[in-house]
Amino acid sequence: MNTLAPNLRAWKAFFATATEEASTALAVWTHGDVVLSVDEISETSLSEVALSLRLSEELVTLVRFGIDGDYGGQLLLSFDDDNARSLIQSLLRRPASNGGHWSPLELSALAETGNILASIYMNHLTELTGTRLWPTPPDVMRDYAMSVVQQAVLSQAQCEDRVMLCKTRFECMGQDVEWSLVLIPSPELMQVIERSLAGA
Amino acid sequence: MPSTLQLSTTAATANMGEIVTITGQQMAQAILGSCLGIALYDPANEVGTLAHVVLPCSEGRTGPPGKFADTAIASMLESLAHQGARASQLICKLAGGASMFANNGPMQIGLQNIAAARHALDRAGIRVSAEHLEGSKGRRIRFFASTGAVEVEVAGMPKETL
Repeated sequence: MNTLAPNLRAWKAFFATATEEASTALAVWTHGDVVLSVDEISETSLSEVALSLRLSEELVTLVRFGIDGDYGGQLLLSFDDDNARSLIQSLLRRPASNGGHWSPLELSALAETGNILASIYMNHLTELTGTRLWPTPPDVMRDYAMSVVQQAVLSQAQCEDRVMLCKTRFECMGQDVEWSLVLIPSPELMQVIERSLAGA
Repeated sequence: MPSTLQLSTTAATANMGEIVTITGQQMAQAILGSCLGIALYDPANEVGTLAHVVLPCSEGRTGPPGKFADTAIASMLESLAHQGARASQLICKLAGGASMFANNGPMQIGLQNIAAARHALDRAGIRVSAEHLEGSKGRRIRFFASTGAVEVEVAGMPKETL
């Protein structure tokens, strides 16, 4: 039984619409190389978050946004090293750094990719809920994905033993790539989304 | 999934809110951010237990015992007692409790996790022998039952052994 989001089907339909627009924008940004793939809205126990998100145990590059405004939450875009390097090379049209030690320009390219996606999802959430939501400035970090996700799910973990995660996968030329975008709404934002979807 | 696992394999992961008990050649691992890894080790019996604590205090809330520092330590001591360990012989090592988000993060709860664990350990009469705490980076830890050693890896830093 889904207890956190009774209108799970409506959540999926809503995010599919946002993802379609984000995919179009990302295809333009990456010269057609990368598009967004399937949305997964899942409710999972704390102990199964890593499994549910299929998080790597290795270091990854993440672009994190907080959700500011009337309600809170977190948005995380992560890449493994190879995919971050490919993206940077595609955007900057020159070889990228190795070992995850990105230059300021490379960090900026990664952050801007996150900005594009975050802005589209925030616009859709704002339109749906009628509230004011905007992403914080991006924070690009290289760390263990699970370490970052842990803190991102804290506001939900305070209230429940299960958390709700909205994950978007990516495809490059028809193949899944090791990028992921995870939206983790605060409990208050979850309630507002749920109410808005129920009334839509 | 049960919150306390008895393992027959050589390695296992303590996920968020879980407690893992290991013996002999077994190893337990965890990836930590603001969460706190609490390793309790009985050298006489070569048995250890690792908790992956998410929040400081249960305050009456339900949840697996490993989710909160106060309930985790009580559960770990009970588990070790079943294995023949005595609280007075236990060695404790702590890792984690970072503040991952410099600003605009939800709650900087790592410090609260550390304080709650220290308080619960004090009450149980257990001294912390080594620790690798705070900061703004995640940690990957491995805890070995044969030695009680805790290996700590942080991005961009050399591996350390507690």
